[in-house]
Amino acid sequence: MDFTFTEDQLLFQESVRDFLVNEITPERIRRSWESDSGRDPELWSQLAELGLTGMTVPEACGGLGMSEVDFVLLAQECGYVALPEPLVHSTLVSVPLLLELGGELAAQWLPLIASGEAKVVVGLEQNHWVEDAHIADLLLLQRGGNLVAATPGEVNLRHNESVDPSRKLFFVEVGANAQVVASGATASKLIESAMNRGALGAAAQALGLAQRMVDLSVQYTSERHQFGKAIGSFQAVKHHMANVAVSLEYAKAPVYRAAYAIAHAQDIAWHAVSHGKFAACEAANLAAKNCIQVHGAMGYTWEVDLHIFMKKAWALANTWGDAGFHKARIAQRIFAPGAALGADATFA
Amino acid sequence: MKLSFSAEDEQFRQEVASWLRDNLSGEFEKLKGRGGPGDEHSFPQERKVWEQKLAQGKWTCVGWPQAYGGRGCSIEQQVIFFEEYARARAPGRMGHIGEGLTGPTLIAYGTQAQRDKYLPGILDGTQFWCQGYSEPGAGSDLANVKTRAAFDQASGKWRINGQKVWTSLAHESDYCFVIARTDPGSVGHKGLGFFLVEMDQPGIQVRPIEQITGTSEFNEVFFDDAECSSEDIVGEPGEGWKVAMGLLGFERGVSTLGQQMLFQNEFDEVVRLARSNGAASDPVIRQRIARAHTELKIMRYNSMRMLSGQSTGDGSLQKEALIYKLFWATWHRSLGELAMDVMGPECEILDAPPYALNRLQSMYLFVRADTIYGGTNQIQRNIIAERGLGMPKEPRGTL
Repeated sequence: MDFTFTEDQLLFQESVRDFLVNEITPERIRRSWESDSGRDPELWSQLAELGLTGMTVPEACGGLGMSEVDFVLLAQECGYVALPEPLVHSTLVSVPLLLELGGELAAQWLPLIASGEAKVVVGLEQNHWVEDAHIADLLLLQRGGNLVAATPGEVNLRHNESVDPSRKLFFVEVGANAQVVASGATASKLIESAMNRGALGAAAQALGLAQRMVDLSVQYTSERHQFGKAIGSFQAVKHHMANVAVSLEYAKAPVYRAAYAIAHAQDIAWHAVSHGKFAACEAANLAAKNCIQVHGAMGYTWEVDLHIFMKKAWALANTWGDAGFHKARIAQRIFAPGAALGADATFA
Repeated sequence: MKLSFSAEDEQFRQEVASWLRDNLSGEFEKLKGRGGPGDEHSFPQERKVWEQKLAQGKWTCVGWPQAYGGRGCSIEQQVIFFEEYARARAPGRMGHIGEGLTGPTLIAYGTQAQRDKYLPGILDGTQFWCQGYSEPGAGSDLANVKTRAAFDQASGKWRINGQKVWTSLAHESDYCFVIARTDPGSVGHKGLGFFLVEMDQPGIQVRPIEQITGTSEFNEVFFDDAECSSEDIVGEPGEGWKVAMGLLGFERGVSTLGQQMLFQNEFDEVVRLARSNGAASDPVIRQRIARAHTELKIMRYNSMRMLSGQSTGDGSLQKEALIYKLFWATWHRSLGELAMDVMGPECEILDAPPYALNRLQSMYLFVRADTIYGGTNQIQRNIIAERGLGMPKEPRGTL
């Protein structure tokens, strides 16, 4: 039993974090809100150069062939900077789905994803409004019990504004002639798997978002003075932050556990993911609430950066299964006949 | 990352399980599921005999190094031991303070003579310990202890005077470790000593405190010229705080695993009840059970994560452990509320007069202590914010 990351994994996290924190500044995010696509092709090329777009693409297809356990820490860092680009979606949802579909589709698209030349997005019932459909070169969509693959020419997109100005969401209409790539039991298995990966990605980003809000608030409350003292010295303020710290620190293990379960194709993956998504998004929402509170009136302004992270946390909490959805799945598991609960079921 | 147990570890699991199957029977059958927090008053004598039974099988102190008489079990094996112990519903450990706190403290800070004198009684399940920390004027502000220890040149012994309070199982204990002021003019963390004190002596009086459960697990302990040999101070006079805090590190280490397994048993009982009385079909109850389950998993995963990440190897945890107390205490209190809501109107009805609570009612009341003892939730939050997050320290009152 070993619940730690390797030194290599931690070093990679650190270097990606350095890159992202330098590049994806709040100013840059605010600029992206003003642009038409909200996306920055130059940044995507940089991510590709670092190998990040090909993280989960097999080496034979020009990627790094890494696993969800390798990527989960990086997804966390994408959350830390509120990265607008669909890197987590592509790496954790699109690439694995293409791999599971296999065949020509995978052979054609995976090398292009790894090199950064193409973007593929996935739209399921649980992410009803499809993220980044406007910049996708291929869309994999759930239609009833089927999965279809559609090119941009085969879809009609209706833009929906998100509460998070960084998220670009689309209602996707797809023509009857789009290619069915999976149906029946195969399709439902793939859809379930993609859904779990999407939830994992949202959970990992939520951890990073919560951490960012904590960092901003610790800094702010250490600098802001009232009654002749830093407000962070007051217990009422400290306790808000301590509650967030506990919630955040303790949400990490179930997210890592979920990444491990998915990477090792364990049967428990679906409820491990639900534990992680529920805990991480709850931590991020608590962070948002308490961090705004300790910022006082400044936390309510457009000018202070806090809301960049708060709004992404808000959005992620409600996509890829909201808290009610994931708690219902967990309850379903607990009350299933013969469920492996009990003291000896540590990893079950 | 590898989230599974090896074949060797699973072999060890079989060994533990079969020993418990063979031995937790006969006279010990009635102890199943008894003892533990909130039920410590049950069968103390029988549970002491059970400790000796465990010792015969070498199942006490499984995590202690072999050089000190333990099994030297790996973290994995300790996890498995606690899992199987709880699964068998083996009784709450009477020896947990000696095994989890006194022993590791003496191994880390004690003299060879102290280890030789005290470890065997803990290992063989014949000597039991209690913890003399809190005082009427030193609760959250633990460093404010007023109990005094003065060295008496004539007898060559320490004489201890003062009072401790909330001392769990003092009335069932042979020894108490006591923090007391060795430097009469000192205040705060400085000038304290850490003493190993025999309970059975004229200078010590134990008075049980009746709790809201109607039962008594905590006590007041009065020291009136209680004696302590010059050999029985751990560390130097004035160094007691260091030892006392080192001990708390052990409290938050491996010994948390056993506690989580008890939580799991309580949670399972709530789930069983919800299934049988129909509460499980209430969507709100289902969601709360899902939350409780998630958070229990979180505690277990985090313990594993912390334990597999620690390099000290002595079973203690420092920084990560800061947040554990707040989390588990709050979780446990919520479980009590959930249990009562699952019981529904029946939660009001006692098992028998005068005040026989069933296990869940007793748990619901006892968990009120969890968010208080060992550092209240409020104190924990201060510590997390100041030491964990690095927020500015609150100015202290003048001493």
